[in-house]
Amino acid sequence: MVLSVTEFLGRLHPALVHLPIGILLIGLLFQWFYQRGTYAVSLSVIKIIFLAGTACAWISCITGYILSSSGDYESGLVNWHMWMGIAVALTASLIFRKIILQKTDSWYKALSIGLLILIMVTGHLGGSLTHGADYISSAFKSDSGTAYKIHPPIIHVEEARVYADVIQPLFQKDCYNCHGSGRQKGKLRMDDSSSIMKGGKDGSILIPFKAPESELMKRIILPTDDEHHMPKGKPSLKESQIALINWWISTGADFHKKVKEFEQPTRIRGYLLALENSSNHADSMVPPSPVEEADRKTINALKEKGVEVIPVAQNSHYLMADFINSVSIHDKDLALLVPLRKQLIWLKLGNTKIGDSSTIYIGQCTELTQLQLERTGISNTGLASLQSLHKLQSLNLVGTSVTAQGVLSLKTLKQLKHLYLYQTGVGDKDWTMLAVNFPKTQIDSGGYTVSFIAADTVVVKAGK
Amino acid sequence: MTQKELNNPRLIKEANERIMRHLTRRHFLKESAMGMGALALGSFLTSCGTGTAAPDSGIVFDPAHPLAPKLPMFPGKAKSVIYLHMAGAPSHLELFDYKPDLMKLNGQDCPQSLLKGKRFAFIRGVPKMLGPQARFEQRGQSGAWVSDNLPHFATVADEVCFLKAVTTDQFNHAPAQLLIHTGTPRLGRPSIGAWATYGLGSENQNLPGFVVLTSGGHFPDAGKSVWGSGFLPSVYQGVQCRSTGDPVLFIKSPDGLDRDMRKASIDAINAVNQQEYKEYNDPEIMSRISQYELAYRMQISVPDTMNINDEPEYMHEMYGTKPNVACFANNALLARKLVEKGVRFVQLFDWGWDDHGTDADTALDIGLINKCRQTDKAVTALLLDLKQRGMLEETLVVWGGEFGRTPMMENRDGKQNPFKGRDHHVDAFTIWMAGGGIKKGYTYGETDEIGYSAISGKATPFDVQATILNQLGFDHIKFTYEYQGRPCRLTDVSGTVIDDIIA
Repeated sequence: MVLSVTEFLGRLHPALVHLPIGILLIGLLFQWFYQRGTYAVSLSVIKIIFLAGTACAWISCITGYILSSSGDYESGLVNWHMWMGIAVALTASLIFRKIILQKTDSWYKALSIGLLILIMVTGHLGGSLTHGADYISSAFKSDSGTAYKIHPPIIHVEEARVYADVIQPLFQKDCYNCHGSGRQKGKLRMDDSSSIMKGGKDGSILIPFKAPESELMKRIILPTDDEHHMPKGKPSLKESQIALINWWISTGADFHKKVKEFEQPTRIRGYLLALENSSNHADSMVPPSPVEEADRKTINALKEKGVEVIPVAQNSHYLMADFINSVSIHDKDLALLVPLRKQLIWLKLGNTKIGDSSTIYIGQCTELTQLQLERTGISNTGLASLQSLHKLQSLNLVGTSVTAQGVLSLKTLKQLKHLYLYQTGVGDKDWTMLAVNFPKTQIDSGGYTVSFIAADTVVVKAGK
Repeated sequence: MTQKELNNPRLIKEANERIMRHLTRRHFLKESAMGMGALALGSFLTSCGTGTAAPDSGIVFDPAHPLAPKLPMFPGKAKSVIYLHMAGAPSHLELFDYKPDLMKLNGQDCPQSLLKGKRFAFIRGVPKMLGPQARFEQRGQSGAWVSDNLPHFATVADEVCFLKAVTTDQFNHAPAQLLIHTGTPRLGRPSIGAWATYGLGSENQNLPGFVVLTSGGHFPDAGKSVWGSGFLPSVYQGVQCRSTGDPVLFIKSPDGLDRDMRKASIDAINAVNQQEYKEYNDPEIMSRISQYELAYRMQISVPDTMNINDEPEYMHEMYGTKPNVACFANNALLARKLVEKGVRFVQLFDWGWDDHGTDADTALDIGLINKCRQTDKAVTALLLDLKQRGMLEETLVVWGGEFGRTPMMENRDGKQNPFKGRDHHVDAFTIWMAGGGIKKGYTYGETDEIGYSAISGKATPFDVQATILNQLGFDHIKFTYEYQGRPCRLTDVSGTVIDDIIA
């Protein structure tokens, strides 16, 4: 692409604007020092600074005007930015004049404060234009791009709307930044259905039913180093995302219908079902908020007993404790876990000799998300003390003597996702009852068999 | 020892030689690195010598406790891995990748477009196309295609995630196996199990962190290098255990040597090694000390763990084990036991999947079926058994070969092979994973109508390795080890985590 000289000047704007901001701010600072008399700043220095700052401000205004005429930006925001920018240049000029005339009256002070405010407002507007309005605030949100719309998790993908629930979130995450309300690169907006169909300055971006011919598809499958690759400067969309967009366009790029109204090839079916799964993704086995470091002495005391107590990852203070090398631990030794209750999230006590009296200590470790008690002496009595573990997601009771009655006492654990009850006292007729009482929990009864097939032991031989 | 023996000139000679052996070129240069030039040389030499963890990997190598549990970079979904390698490379076209269109081409000459610019291990001239030699069906809720060759596995298809478009660039067994396990087709780099144990240590301090079990009558073609430790400290190499006889060779103390005496002798050897360490500061000596101690503990723990006879009868029935034979089913049951005891990485190699069709044992309709029957029940049982014990959540199971097989029938040296078989093929094959935070009942990647090349969801061995490390809690790019002057990693300069298959 050949750039014309004016276009080139326009593109200098985002770099040039930093000069007046910096120079004028230094000017204001020096001027403040000068008036307070704390530092000996010569007025002639301030004069030079303001001359340079004012000149740069006007140059920025001109380049900015050229850039805005390219039309890549949202006109409302650009207008505000332009007038504010001109106001900055004007105010700076006035201050410069006052300095030359050596009139440091109250008007002079008001202008200075005004300039400071104007620079900040103009700078912020400019930033919103280039980086998107939610650029700074999105750092505080878990998922960038939520400024537009938070998409509820998909529970039944068949009932989900193809555009609003499947496709739009993809566009929002990877396209809106340059083709949204803030900026319209190539005069393209993708945040509402009519703009998508209208296309950009080179024409339409998608042709319903004709995915391979649609510009949108062509661009997203280009390699990252191609200059037409989209999203520009970012890694390609995932395989599954590209396939879903392709499917959406091939089925007519509909904006209202539900997933179930379309035919789904096997591959697409898989990707759609995956959306359903990934919605449960948010709650992880590790709490999102950081925690202070655990008491070293307690950890060392446990280590002396052969217990492995280590953080779950580098840069994390959350702990896991593994008793695999200390199976003959006594119930009362578990009191050592209590001081770690804020940090301890994974606890492996499988195959140890602990019994019911240990659960009063375990029950106090309320941050636990994963607890393994397989083949221990825990029975129904002990389970009652575990009701306090509200964050528990996975509980392994394989090979213990607990019964359905005892397990029912854990009904209060709303986060529980996996419950392993293989080789326990739970009777054959209890499973349906448990399933009803634990609607959100996957209860594994175990006892699987792999039936014998006659062919298993037959060896095939070559025929004659 | 008598004075006379001590004076024995042979002993003196040996002692002298031993001293000489320490005065290797490396030690000599290191110790003479006093002047400016030598100092610079010394810094070059450190990079030839024993390496160190790269500073940003966050892995601390403690030579005195090399297998102590260590922290992953981020909380990993998987705590351990069971890697089932079907050495010889099973045919994706007879197991998972159903291609009805290939049936239509059965017996026709292979079009030139598929042969142009390609090299095959044995196919010469123009081979004939060969349709699928198995009946396929969609299985479970996910509708994954699994052939009748695997009737048991078909029932658990909803538990696994298929990678249908894995590719490689090596069409011979040994380099391809090395590539998939060590990240390079050449010898000398650490295997994925060694990396995993180096990064995470091991939970059980009485067992090795990385155990290798083989079946099928032969070692994999690449030999023991596929479970080697490469430039990582040797303590991380896979410990090969046997499912018959002594689980580890020479694990029993010799006759007449009781446990106290054994302990005393190991203590003596370690004392000598400690002295050597003080003198030479070589971390490998500390590794050796810890290995002696581990070996001593293993004398008790290993025969106990490796003994599958204490498993109840219904477990043996489930896995289809065979008493006192080295077979895949026994190894699968052992793998579950080992992971249950806190072993980090268990690698199973089953030899005999190289279905060229040169004889009945390598025929797609004879040998392959027999190999499937030897492993199908055990693989299925392993998945279900891990699941019911609550271990599948934290255990990543990987199944695969080193490459795929051609849609063409092999014509070795231009002549039709006597049995139906397929040649080595690098452009497409299937690997599946289960548990360890991988999506269930999911299929990733697709091959073309005849299963010849990947058309979407292409995954290289590096991508598979990056994904395995990711599930264990490591960023494969930052997980490095300083060697030969640069940080080295399993995936070297490639690999992307396959995000799409992560639950």
